[in-house]
Amino acid sequence: MGKTVLIVDDSNTMRKIVSRSLRQAGIDFDEILEAGDGQEALDVLAANSVDVVLSDINMPNMTGLEFLKAKSEDDAIKDIPVIMISTETGADIIDEAKSYGAKGAIKKPFTPDLINETLGPLL
Amino acid sequence: MEFPKKIVETTEEIFSTMIFMDVSADAPLNQGKQDLGCHVSAMIGLTGGFSAMLGIHCPETVGLAISGAMLGMEIEEIDADVKDALGEIANMVAGGLKERFATENIDLELAIPTAISGKSYTIASPTKSNRIIIPFSIEQGPFFIEMKYNLN
Repeated sequence: MGKTVLIVDDSNTMRKIVSRSLRQAGIDFDEILEAGDGQEALDVLAANSVDVVLSDINMPNMTGLEFLKAKSEDDAIKDIPVIMISTETGADIIDEAKSYGAKGAIKKPFTPDLINETLGPLL
Repeated sequence: MEFPKKIVETTEEIFSTMIFMDVSADAPLNQGKQDLGCHVSAMIGLTGGFSAMLGIHCPETVGLAISGAMLGMEIEEIDADVKDALGEIANMVAGGLKERFATENIDLELAIPTAISGKSYTIASPTKSNRIIIPFSIEQGPFFIEMKYNLN
């Protein structure tokens, strides 16, 4: 059975760039799902089988940190690994993200190699 | 605080790693320069160690070229995708400044970017601010990164 990734970012442009970078990194997913904020991401996870999530932090409606916290409180989805992709990669924010279960962080701007290095071990 | 150096460094990093376009920076413009001849702009606020508005301003052809390169497709008119793409550049430049100023113990918080487009518009600040405008060039023409700031 193929793997599925969920890309969460309020920017359509950034979702496309992350998707392209996955291909450039040689990471092939059978399905790439998208969500525009944390609440949409929770809805997608409730309705689909997802192997890994790549999420922005600074989003309207529900931020990446709020999404992580809500996800960590739902037994059905709490174990799905999440990597944060954001301009917000200060130690305090990343520590908070990891306290809610995030497995790592990638700073924008990023290269396909960095995506591969961070995401590869989770797949 | 080396605003121009930090802006140039982070802009060049973004264009080389995520947009894959050659970009070169020119000398900052005089503060009196007002009309940049641009048709689409994206801006983001920064607060904390200082207050600032950072903007990227592009003529139509340059905005189309940059956003097309980011999205991997040809774009023929200024639309939501172009404004979204430029908003992401503003977000990443501001994020780069945040990271660089953090090494000097100056903490900053970022707002969410906004964008506007049109044949003629003016962006005004309600208070007297310091202003830096750095021209950049790509093959299709110039664009500008502007920063208006007030030291707290």
